[in-house]
Amino acid sequence: MDSANDPYGRLADVQKTKRIIGSTLADVPEELIHAAGLHPFLILGTNEPIRHSAALLPDNSCSLARSNLELVVGYQGAFFDGFVLSQVCDTTQHLCDIWKRKFPDHYFENFLAPRQVARPSARAWYAQECRRLRSELGNYTGHEITDEDLWASFRLYNENRSLLRQLYDIKREAPALMTNREFFDLVKATFFMDKEEHNRLLKEVVDWADQDKHRFTGQDGFFKVIMAGIVVEPPTIYDMIDEVKGTIVGDNLCTASRYIYHDVEVGSDPAEALADRHLRKPNFTPINSDVERVYADLLELYREGEAEAIFYCHIKYCESQDYDLPDIKVKMREEGISFLELETEYQTTHLSQMKTRIQAFCESVMGKGAA
Amino acid sequence: MNKKAGEKKAKSPAKELSKELTAAYLEDARTAHEHGKYVAYTTAVSPVELFVAHDIIPIYPENHAVGCLTKRLGTQLSMAMEKKGYTSHLCAYARCDLGYRITGESPTGGIPDPDFLLACNAQCFTLTKWFEVLSRSYKVPLFVFDTPQFISDPGARKEIIQYCINQLKELVAALEDLTGKKYDYDRLAEVIAYSRDACLLYRKFLDMAAYKPSPISIFDALIHMAIIVYLRGTPQAVHYYQTLVDEIQEKADKGIGVVEDERFRLYWENLPVWFKFKDHFNLLKSYGANILTSLYVHDFAHEFDTSKDPLETLAENYLSAFSNVTMLERADMALDLFQRYDMNGSIMFVNRSCKAVSFAVYTLKDILTEKTGHPALIFESDMGDPRFYSETQIRTRIEAFLETLQRREAEAA
Repeated sequence: MDSANDPYGRLADVQKTKRIIGSTLADVPEELIHAAGLHPFLILGTNEPIRHSAALLPDNSCSLARSNLELVVGYQGAFFDGFVLSQVCDTTQHLCDIWKRKFPDHYFENFLAPRQVARPSARAWYAQECRRLRSELGNYTGHEITDEDLWASFRLYNENRSLLRQLYDIKREAPALMTNREFFDLVKATFFMDKEEHNRLLKEVVDWADQDKHRFTGQDGFFKVIMAGIVVEPPTIYDMIDEVKGTIVGDNLCTASRYIYHDVEVGSDPAEALADRHLRKPNFTPINSDVERVYADLLELYREGEAEAIFYCHIKYCESQDYDLPDIKVKMREEGISFLELETEYQTTHLSQMKTRIQAFCESVMGKGAA
Repeated sequence: MNKKAGEKKAKSPAKELSKELTAAYLEDARTAHEHGKYVAYTTAVSPVELFVAHDIIPIYPENHAVGCLTKRLGTQLSMAMEKKGYTSHLCAYARCDLGYRITGESPTGGIPDPDFLLACNAQCFTLTKWFEVLSRSYKVPLFVFDTPQFISDPGARKEIIQYCINQLKELVAALEDLTGKKYDYDRLAEVIAYSRDACLLYRKFLDMAAYKPSPISIFDALIHMAIIVYLRGTPQAVHYYQTLVDEIQEKADKGIGVVEDERFRLYWENLPVWFKFKDHFNLLKSYGANILTSLYVHDFAHEFDTSKDPLETLAENYLSAFSNVTMLERADMALDLFQRYDMNGSIMFVNRSCKAVSFAVYTLKDILTEKTGHPALIFESDMGDPRFYSETQIRTRIEAFLETLQRREAEAA
């Protein structure tokens, strides 16, 4: 849990032995960075005050972008040896250029994942970008990344994803066993920690949870929630859902299901194997496939999870979500689904207001919640 | 140069021709279905030649939105959309268009509904999301032509071009599906040749800003940009730009400038504030200042190479949009204009409507002022919504900037 909430101090030992490569959401194939003998670290912003990035970005830029830039420019720049930044929207595309200019002495790569996944060209392009990144990482370290290195990383990452999925299944089965916050903190820790260590700890947690779950399988008092969005920040939101006894049974978050669902198949061309996994991931708002997926996937999650409500975390000024939300809300209304939009921002100070909204929603719409 | 009392301003042949061509184009679009043709919405920076060659009439919701914004309908249309749950943070073009879908308000009688949508993200990603909304609403297919940032590494560029060629082949197949007609690549080559010629003439027109005094301002460029956006790929566009070039060349030969006693030759960064067009021109003119150009107007001065495979030259050109290259390359493009047009200052607009163009502006300002030694003014506002335009504050800032230029001029003398 400490690693999830304050990873920088905890990684001091790793930093002594490996170069740390920061990446941003979404879809950078971390396996390639790992196979290069580097330590991948997913940058997820800071809740510390914004001091520098306000002068570099307009004030209507999304708070994740602002916060990520602030983290590296203002607080943790020295922690990183390099960056692989993903371009998924206008904000992230131009952020890459600004970022690169701020760190002229760091290793830097853009990762240009396709922003469409509906056609065969997307698979070929994702694979090609993986090949380019593999080659560039090899140039950076001075060692070619072999197929064997990649297979080993794929296995390690598959194991990590599999353990997290097992734990998610147990959580669904036994909601009182662990809180939402505990589970999603465990997932978050995987973005920062050494994968071997995370797997070792996860195995212990999964073993414990598997043994103890029978004591917590009662669903009484809990209601099932689907969590939608990109990230859930600040993580206190999970605590608030815990307080009203909502249990998250499904999500399409970049920092959860989009990361942990589907494995990379070992044995074929590594780049194509990564592309195949990419195309199987849950819907991600900036990437176009079928225009109905913005709500069709949510409806599917809702029905499969036998959920009673959908909570949608909307990062303020996320243009992609801004365009999706009105149609999503109309659809949910048509389907009679209880839907709560939570507009969030890094550095937000209005948590009590959000808590009241969640409580009021649960009490009035669901007729549930803490007594 | 200045009009004498009672003297009538001579009609511009190019402007008259523009009106005729626009009316004919809109009439074709409105009657497309009667003539067995299809209407496709597309983005200004997109390989529209593929539509033209397949007898599909392209419609640009952005152009229609500009018409609404210049007529100051921006706020009204945006508010109609906001009532449906959209936010006022979105692109003013999108707000205008989605508001028009609700109210039907239009200064030009509206645009026909689409049969097909093409969004090219070289211009911006916003358009993809906006067109997703339209695709859900009209139940018509959306094709996203994904153009990854055209990063400078030559090897990566080669692969990016190939990815885009593959997508253009997919687009051709989608158009064949739509119309049931086999695609004619010979016709495509012919259409690209018209685009090449029109774009070269358009560039020649823009480059007349290099004359001293300049016979054009950015405001002329913005007005005459319309035809290259919606009629490229046609012989009419070639004829139009030839007429325009001849007209402006005559002014240049006579030494006629748009600003009398031109003293300051300025660069504009970003799209214009559409509803303040005339005010900005007049304010600047009163100080002897003329904004000559911007990368935005140059975005349509493509250089199609007809010796190459048609899909390859389309891919290369649309990938190279200033909004799709790296910031350093974009700065180089602007510096090239600075040098060629001998400019001595910049007005840099941070447009809350357009993240794609505005995100880089603060950093771009640092690069341009450092490399040119000329001052730059930054101001924040919105290109289409007067609610976000602070009249007094912006006017004061522009005046203060122009006074700085005057001081520098006096010091240099």
